[in-house]
Amino acid sequence: MTLLEFASGPGLQWALWIFVFGITWRVVGAVFLLSRKDISKPRHTNTISAGLGAVWSRSAPAHAFEKKIRFQHVTGYAWHFALFISVLFFAPHILFFESVLGFSWPHLPNTIILITAIVATAVLIALLIRRATHPVQRFISNADDYISIFVVLVPLVTGILAFTHFGARYETLLAVHLLSVEVMLIWFPFGKLMHMIMTIPARFQAGTAFGRRGVKA
Amino acid sequence: MNTEAMSLQDFRGKLREMSVDIPGRDLTDEDRVRRAKKAFAQKLNGHRAVDMDTCLQCGMCAEACHFYEATQDERYAPVYKFRPLRRFYRREMSPMRWFYRAFTRDITVADLREWQHLVYDACTGCGRCDMICPMGIKISAAIRVMRHGLAGAGLVPSEMRIIRDEQRDKNTLFGVGAEQLKALVQKLGSEGINVPLDREQADVMLLTTAIEVLLFPDAFAATAKILNKAGANWTIRSDAFEAANVGIITGDDPTMILAIKRIVEKANAIGAKTVLMPESGHAYQTLRWEGANEMGEPLSFDVVSIPEFVAAEIKAGRLNLKTQTNGASVTYHDPCRLSRKGGVTQQPRDVLTAMGLEVRETTSNRRENYCCGGGCGEFVLKSAADLRQKAFEIKKHEIDETGADAVVTGCSNCRINLMIGADNSGWQTPVTSLVETVAANLAD
Repeated sequence: MTLLEFASGPGLQWALWIFVFGITWRVVGAVFLLSRKDISKPRHTNTISAGLGAVWSRSAPAHAFEKKIRFQHVTGYAWHFALFISVLFFAPHILFFESVLGFSWPHLPNTIILITAIVATAVLIALLIRRATHPVQRFISNADDYISIFVVLVPLVTGILAFTHFGARYETLLAVHLLSVEVMLIWFPFGKLMHMIMTIPARFQAGTAFGRRGVKA
Repeated sequence: MNTEAMSLQDFRGKLREMSVDIPGRDLTDEDRVRRAKKAFAQKLNGHRAVDMDTCLQCGMCAEACHFYEATQDERYAPVYKFRPLRRFYRREMSPMRWFYRAFTRDITVADLREWQHLVYDACTGCGRCDMICPMGIKISAAIRVMRHGLAGAGLVPSEMRIIRDEQRDKNTLFGVGAEQLKALVQKLGSEGINVPLDREQADVMLLTTAIEVLLFPDAFAATAKILNKAGANWTIRSDAFEAANVGIITGDDPTMILAIKRIVEKANAIGAKTVLMPESGHAYQTLRWEGANEMGEPLSFDVVSIPEFVAAEIKAGRLNLKTQTNGASVTYHDPCRLSRKGGVTQQPRDVLTAMGLEVRETTSNRRENYCCGGGCGEFVLKSAADLRQKAFEIKKHEIDETGADAVVTGCSNCRINLMIGADNSGWQTPVTSLVETVAANLAD
């Protein structure tokens, strides 16, 4: 079995199993720590709408904080947009998703994907530098913060290398890219990449809690 | 109306007298850690678990914290203030604990002692950080769990322990009990202000605080005048008048529940339909939002803050106010637990504008308002004096920027802290209460 065969076969399968099972385990485990029902008389009763409102409103900072967190706000959007375009609209990626999901969607030209991948990589490196140098971020950071950046950064870099056929044989570069993605999938349920799953429920519960008190979250 | 009050200087002297290191519970280090963990486990529900699992450690919350802003000390980043709780969650409660345990250090008594400063001195639980978090994490709720843990571990700061024990054991605060309230009521009676004390039946049961009785009797008198003017069927009970709750401030559940129970049982006994809260943010938060949950059943009465009451009475036409025409302006300081944590935001503004006052907003206002710097009982802590003053300077700066003639607030704790800050810095802007402003403008 070649490295590429392993990476695209059992390696990928195991990584996906750990990814799916790990996420399920972590979400179900947190939900099982049930919360007591709040029986105080609500000021507003439409808490579902308040919860959904918070899912939306927390996508942008409140007015008083806008200037103070502009860097995180702008880089956060740049990073996520560039990443998702690179992952979801690259023709070979879509072929892979089609093999798993059974359907496909239009792809973007390779040049655009290359640009978005480079932007995503550059922004992530900027965020890494900030984490290592900003007094608060450096002080509060732990291993998870750095591991989670590296396991996403490496697939981006190896993806760009494979795309440009730079530094080694294409098959080798592709295998390394796939393996780096698998490492990311395996790490996902253990670290803070889980925010991709948890963000909506966390914002929703904040919205409902504030909403029943008549406060916009 | 000029009811004799304790001077601010005398009250500050009283606080200084409390600032002695009284011995706490004699517990071993192991006991303290065990008891802190027990409290953490009791309070770590599904909501807090989602919070613990969602935090990105982005550090944005630091930008919302007045203590970080004032000092640039990274330890004051709100996310750091609940670090031991997150470590406990990861090691002992998370679904991934079997993994995290190998990489996460256990909490120690040294941690608990270090975090005593971070969660009592350096956090007023104002919840401004809750408003900036892109994940919607209720950071202040997590820090409150930290206070529960420290209370369990017997590590509540001395000054707070003194008043907590006083409320729990004597049902008094700062030495104010039934006798002091009765004396004040008698004095007001001699000034022509009727306070129906200890009635067996009433629709509205008014509460007050020791702070009002001692320092701001004019606010209490003003509330009585408003209730009388509105024609309310009301009373105040000398055996259950204290709205302040040191249990919630310190993180001590038994004291919190005891203080809630005293009020709820008495309100039920007299058939009150409304319990009217005085100008005290944390007291409103406690009874309004925690009362039913701690009693285990819905309350049989409404819990109403004084700004809500006055706004509703004006709207219903039962309370008429004089409209000022001299162009006076005020800025309203939102008490965190009334506005950000309680939803009482528009009503005080409606009341002020009903009197013809121009309300000038601070840059950060309503749910984004800066704390006065001394909420959640912090104003009693000597060890927090410097931090408090620095946080006050931020508030002062925003108030000065408005150019308003005075600052009005709806919380006597905020009022004290603003007054102490002003006293320290020679700030001249008058600090007054909403209820006193209303009483001074009651139409004939």
